[in-house]
Amino acid sequence: MIGVERVDYVRVPVTDIEEAKHFYGELLGLRLDPNSPHDDWVEYEAGNVTLAVMTPHTHDYEFEALPPATIALRVADVAAAKAKLEEAGLDVGELWDSGKCRGAGVSDPAGNRILLHHRYAPYPDGSSPR
Amino acid sequence: MIQARRVDFIAVPTKDRDRAERFYGETLGLERNPNSTDTWVEYEAGNVTLALVDPEQAGQPFAPLPFAAIVLRVDDVHEARAKLEEAGVEFLGNTFDSGVCNGASFTDPDGNGLMLHHRYAPYPDGSLP
Repeated sequence: MIGVERVDYVRVPVTDIEEAKHFYGELLGLRLDPNSPHDDWVEYEAGNVTLAVMTPHTHDYEFEALPPATIALRVADVAAAKAKLEEAGLDVGELWDSGKCRGAGVSDPAGNRILLHHRYAPYPDGSSPR
Repeated sequence: MIQARRVDFIAVPTKDRDRAERFYGETLGLERNPNSTDTWVEYEAGNVTLALVDPEQAGQPFAPLPFAAIVLRVDDVHEARAKLEEAGVEFLGNTFDSGVCNGASFTDPDGNGLMLHHRYAPYPDGSLP
């Protein structure tokens, strides 16, 4: 037991910071943290957690994408989000419905596959997603 | 622009869910979400949920999270590292001090990249973590 308090950030490795800023800031609509430290390390606020978008090649290690669907990003309506991103020219995967939630994958310019996600069913204890 | 509201979960890939449960629940001491099921297990890391997923069960190849993907805040990185090392966790390199924070990176039993982190300096605008 080490007393983990929270997740300070999730590191999102990318290959081109300008392309990534367009994707996370303009297309996904995440808020840029004004305290972002560097040109090769840009932080976005995704509601409850910070995404640190950074380039491994300027931090002395090799780029490796996150495994598919590592980050499940909540949207109000997956079909509407998919349509908007497709309008912006992105290739969004097929929309699926698990019986509890809907999802669709979309890749950032570096190849990190983000999951657009919306759970509509209550949890087993009857509560709804926060 | 779509309006992303929050991160519902971060998926942590594993080849052995029982082993991963022991690591996240006992070694790291995270709370298991009581709404977890036999096929979908979640741990709460304060502000965000970590979901232990077995990609091979879904017919997908296993690939671990890259270097330091999930950065866990602790009060004292040195102390937390010592406790984890005592529990047999291997760290990658020395604990660093960047001038604004301390950090130490390690991997879970599946090789997923994690980091212990504590920022002690205020942000450029004067606010604190």
